[in-house]
Amino acid sequence: MASHGVPRVSSAAVDKSEAAKDKERKRIEQYRSLEKEVGEKIRVGDFANTTFQQISSLLQQNPEYYTIWNYRRILLLDVFHKELKSGNNAVSESQPEGADGQQATMTLAQQEIAMLVKEDLQFLIPLIKQFPKCYWIWNHRSWLLATATQHLPTKTALQLWQGELALDSKMLALDSRNFHAWDYRRKIVRELERLGGKSMVEAEFEYTTKMIQSNLSNFSAWHNRSQLIPRLLEERDSDAEARKKLFDGEFELITTALYTDPYDQSLWSYHQYLMSTLDRSSPLNSANYARSTAVLSPITNADRLGYLEQEIESIKDMLEGAEDCKYIYQALLEYSRLYLDIEAGNKMVTTKELAGWLAELRKLDPLREGRWRDMEMRMKL
Amino acid sequence: MSLAAGPGRGRVAGGQTPADLRLVIDKHVAYVQKLDTRRDELEYHLTEHLRVSGVYWGLVALHLMKHHDALPSQGVLDFALSCLRDNGGFGAAPGHDAHMLYTISAVQILAMTDNFAELEKRVPDGKKKIAGFIAGLQQPNGTFAGDEWGETDTRFLYGAFNSLSLLGYMPHQRPSETPMIDLPAAIAHIRACQNFDGGFGTSPGAESHSGQVFVCTAALTIAGEIDTFLGEDGKDRLGAWLSERQQASGGLNGRPEKLVDVCYSWWVMSSMAMIDRLHWIDSAKLTKFILECQDPDEGGISDRPGDMVDVFHLCFGIAGLSLLGHPDLIEVDPAYCMPRHITSKLVGR
Ligand SMILES: [Zn+2]
Repeated sequence: MASHGVPRVSSAAVDKSEAAKDKERKRIEQYRSLEKEVGEKIRVGDFANTTFQQISSLLQQNPEYYTIWNYRRILLLDVFHKELKSGNNAVSESQPEGADGQQATMTLAQQEIAMLVKEDLQFLIPLIKQFPKCYWIWNHRSWLLATATQHLPTKTALQLWQGELALDSKMLALDSRNFHAWDYRRKIVRELERLGGKSMVEAEFEYTTKMIQSNLSNFSAWHNRSQLIPRLLEERDSDAEARKKLFDGEFELITTALYTDPYDQSLWSYHQYLMSTLDRSSPLNSANYARSTAVLSPITNADRLGYLEQEIESIKDMLEGAEDCKYIYQALLEYSRLYLDIEAGNKMVTTKELAGWLAELRKLDPLREGRWRDMEMRMKL
Repeated sequence: MSLAAGPGRGRVAGGQTPADLRLVIDKHVAYVQKLDTRRDELEYHLTEHLRVSGVYWGLVALHLMKHHDALPSQGVLDFALSCLRDNGGFGAAPGHDAHMLYTISAVQILAMTDNFAELEKRVPDGKKKIAGFIAGLQQPNGTFAGDEWGETDTRFLYGAFNSLSLLGYMPHQRPSETPMIDLPAAIAHIRACQNFDGGFGTSPGAESHSGQVFVCTAALTIAGEIDTFLGEDGKDRLGAWLSERQQASGGLNGRPEKLVDVCYSWWVMSSMAMIDRLHWIDSAKLTKFILECQDPDEGGISDRPGDMVDVFHLCFGIAGLSLLGHPDLIEVDPAYCMPRHITSKLVGR
C-alpha cells in the first residue's frame, strides 16, 4: 500500500524555474540509467562488487523499490554459496571475541558470511531510521538474520539477534507505536528463546512495565503486556493464589492510571482486556483458540461476579468530576451486561441505572447513535 | 499512471460553506487521465514500484464515477499483461519481480476490464498459471507469503482469496477438483491473529490494526465464513472497536490515538459494512470529511484536509463515498473495493 499519513510535499506544487526543471530532468536521467544498468547486470549474472554498490545507491534513493532488494539478496546468496562451496572449512587462528568472552568457532567461510551480514545490517540502520514504516527494509533485516542463523554457529547467531533487540528498543524509543518494530520485537524474542533455550517472558514483561511507566498512554505496550501475562503465569507455574495476586496487581495499576486520565482510550482498552478474561463468550477464551489466554485458573462464576462487582463500583466512583467522560458510561454498560449474562436476576445494577447511563452516553457521543440504539434494544432498556 | 502526489491539496474551495460541498467528478476524471503525462517529475519514476496498483486505484475511481472508459482500454490491458512474469505472478511494472500485491492489482484490472478471455488468448492457461503462483505462496501454517522471499502477513492471505475468487479458483468454486489451497488452515491462521478486542493483527500476537481488520474480515467474507466465524457477539465486539475509530472531524483513524485518514476511513467502514454495523458511525460527517479532502480545482483526494492529493486516496475516498450511498456513484463491493456489478458477475456476490 502507498505511503500515507505524512503531509505531502510535491515538486509539482511549486512553479519551477527552467533551471530547476533542468536539474530534475538530469536526476531522472541519472536514476533511470542506474536502474537500467543494474537490471542489465542482474540479467547477465554480473554479480561483481560494483553491482552491489550500485544496488546500495539505488536503494538509498528509493528504499521502496522491492525488486532491487531482491537483487541485493540474490547477490548476497551468490557470495554465501560460493564461500560455502569453496571448501573454506579451515578454522582461522584469529577468531573474533564473543560478547561473553567465549569464542564461537567459525570456518573462514562462516567468518566471511558473518562479516557481510554485519555490514549489511549497518547499511540498513540509517535507512530504517529515516523510513521506519517501510515494509521492505524490515523485511530485508529479517531475511539477513534468518539467513545468518541458517549458516552460522548458534552462538554467533545469538549475538546478532541480541544486537537486533537493542536496535529494536531504540526504534521503539523513537516511536513507541511503530507496529513494524513491535512485530519485529516478538520475532527477535522468539528466535532468542529458540536459540538460547531460555525464556525471556519475565524480561519482556519488565520491558512493558518500563514503557508504561515512561508513558501511560502507550497502547502498544499495554497490548504486548496482555500477550505476555498468560505465558508468564504458566512459566512461573503459578497456583490459583499467585494468579489472583497478579490479576489484582494489574487492576490496581490500571485503576490508578484511569484515575489520572479517564479520557485515555489506551488505558480503557487494557481494562477491557482484563475484564475480557472473565467473559465466557470472548473468542479468546474459547477452546478452539490457538494460544493460551487464561489468567485466573481455576475460575468460577463467583470469581467472575466478584470482580465485576468490584470494578463496576470502582468505575462508578470515577464518575465524580468526570461526568462528561463517555468511556466511563461505556464501561459501566458493558460490564453490567457481562454481569447480567452470568446472573440475570441480580439487583446490583437496576434497569433504571442502566437507562440513565445510556442516556448520558447518547448525549456525550452522538457520532455513534446507531450503536447506542442497537444497545438499547439488545439490553431491553 | 503517476503515483506522484499533487499537484493540488485537499481543501474546501474559497467562499464555499461545508453545505455547498459537492463531489467534483469531472475534476477527478481529468485528474486520473492526466496522471500518465507527469513523466517530467522525479516522483513519477520513484513510484514505479507501485505502477500497476496505481492503474487499479485510478480504474476503481473511474468505474465508481461511471467513467469506466475514460482510460484507453487497449493501453490498460497491454500494460497489465506486460507486468506478467514467467512464474505466473505480476510485478508492479515491466521488469519488476512478481509479488502478491501486484498480482492482486493486475487480476482486479483484468476483472474490471472484462479481459480474462483475452488473457487466455494471449497466454494459454493464463488464469490457471496465475492461480498456481498464488496458491504456491501458501505456507504450512495456512498463511501466505508475498513472494519467494518469504515475508508473511495477513495482507497476502487476503490477496490470495481476492484473486483466486476472481479467477474462479477458490475451493468452493471448483467442488469437484482437488483444492489448490488449504482453506481450513488459512481460516485457522486468521483465528490465531484475532485479539480480545475483536480486531486482527499482522500475525499472531500483533495488536489490532484497521488495515489488518479489513483484510481478515474481507478474506472471511470472500470465503463465506464471516457469519459463522464471528457470530453476533463477535460482530458487536469488532463493530464497537471499529466505530471508536470515528473522530470529531468525522474521519476515521486506523488505531487508537492515531490521526484520521481517508484510506483508513475506507478500511474501517468497509469492515463495518461487511459485519452489518456501518450504521454505528455518523455517515453524514464522514461524507463531509472525505469531500473536504478533495482538490476542488484540479481533482484528486488527500489523506486529510490540507495535504497533497494522490490517486491512492482518490480511490479509497470515492469507494468510501460509494459505500456511504453517494447518489452520483455506483455501488462498491466492500470486500473487493471494486464495482459490485462486476464482482456479482464473477463470484456471484
Ligand atoms: Zn492514507
